[in-house]
Amino acid sequence: MMNSPFWRHYRTLVSQGIQAELADLERLVSPVLFALTTLLLFAFAIGDVEPALRVHIYLAETFLTALFALQINFSRLFEPDRQDRVFDLMRTYPVDHTAWFLAKYTLVLAMGSATLGPTLAFAAFVNQSPSQPLFSWVVVGVAAMALAGLAALGVLLSAMTLKANARQILYPLLYFPLATPVLLAAVQSSQLYLSSGQITADVRAWLGLLLGFDVIYITLGALLFTELVDES
Amino acid sequence: MEITKLSFAFRHRRLFHDLSLRVGAGELVHIAGPNGAGKSTFLATVAGLLTPGAGTVAYHGSHGPIQDRRDALEYLPAEANGLYLKMGATQNLQFWSRLRGLNLSPPEIWTALTPWNLNHPLLRDGFAVEKFSTGMKRRLALARLQLSPAIGWLLDEPVYGLDAEAMTIFTTMLAQHLAKGGFALMVSHDLLPFAGLITKTVVIGSKSGTAGAA
Repeated sequence: MMNSPFWRHYRTLVSQGIQAELADLERLVSPVLFALTTLLLFAFAIGDVEPALRVHIYLAETFLTALFALQINFSRLFEPDRQDRVFDLMRTYPVDHTAWFLAKYTLVLAMGSATLGPTLAFAAFVNQSPSQPLFSWVVVGVAAMALAGLAALGVLLSAMTLKANARQILYPLLYFPLATPVLLAAVQSSQLYLSSGQITADVRAWLGLLLGFDVIYITLGALLFTELVDES
Repeated sequence: MEITKLSFAFRHRRLFHDLSLRVGAGELVHIAGPNGAGKSTFLATVAGLLTPGAGTVAYHGSHGPIQDRRDALEYLPAEANGLYLKMGATQNLQFWSRLRGLNLSPPEIWTALTPWNLNHPLLRDGFAVEKFSTGMKRRLALARLQLSPAIGWLLDEPVYGLDAEAMTIFTTMLAQHLAKGGFALMVSHDLLPFAGLITKTVVIGSKSGTAGAA
């Protein structure tokens, strides 16, 4: 089964995507640097806050920064393919479009994790106090769930705006409104967890919403990607 | 390949209309016409990159109809080579051949690069093809074409940027492809090297917007 054309295409595209990213490290590093710099600026701008507010501010700035940094990642997703008409040529090759979507999705998850990991760790570090450690594996899990949905949305919008002349304007205009429910659910569930220290019914409700949007965006991505690629 | 009544218009400007063409094994069809007539658009339409206003393109292999045109075609666009510019020559060829289902080892790739004078360790590995000259990029794209098992080649200005030596290599390669039962549609303003190979000419861009075969 793993040798079927589908998986062969998937492996080839993932491997090529990783090599293309490594060949142009600036693309991979710049969102991380953006996130770390933004967090540092937030820390200076906000200064010392009351312990009651600390969790809220930590989560808001962390997820918002991650959202912006990921947007940089996502919007550049097809950049190597746009050069020298690689994308057009891909469309003339017998590539399974679902494998293509999954490969791009996997690549975005990997790139997103490379951005999200340092962002979460650094945000917890600059916001915590000796009496109030902020790093939590549950928050990391919530962020991973948010990334799963945002990555699918990122691939979808990147494909949608691939040939648009006003791509740099259009992309954020579409991305931010659609990312808001994911952001909201991630912040709320994390905040409720960090406040109570346990996964309550409210936390589960927000996580359910987050999971729901993940499923919607991944399904939409897989279904629409073929159409978008063919119409490009 | 059988093209039946293919039409394409761009913003009310009719580029070609009711174009029908049958291309058999071993044929080289020259797509002729003035600049801006729609020759490249025609090739892109046959490649499946553009949706025609009307008409169909069908493919028949030795065992019957070919369901997916992408299995039968290799497209070489004009002034672009389909190369990942930040990556090396070997990586590029390996990627495209894997998508065709060929699992070629680096030495096999290097063998394919040899006739194009690109089989040098300093050129083929770890050297971004964006640093190649126009002619070298074209050579690499032609090496990709040579590795492809596709029976139909859609060639848009294939000798663009090539020197005399590479042009001779390409002409020989094209003759071998045709001799093996392949076919090709070609747009080229430089016809001299292919004079003995062209079997049909299709002219696009007459005032009526229709195309004619000769």
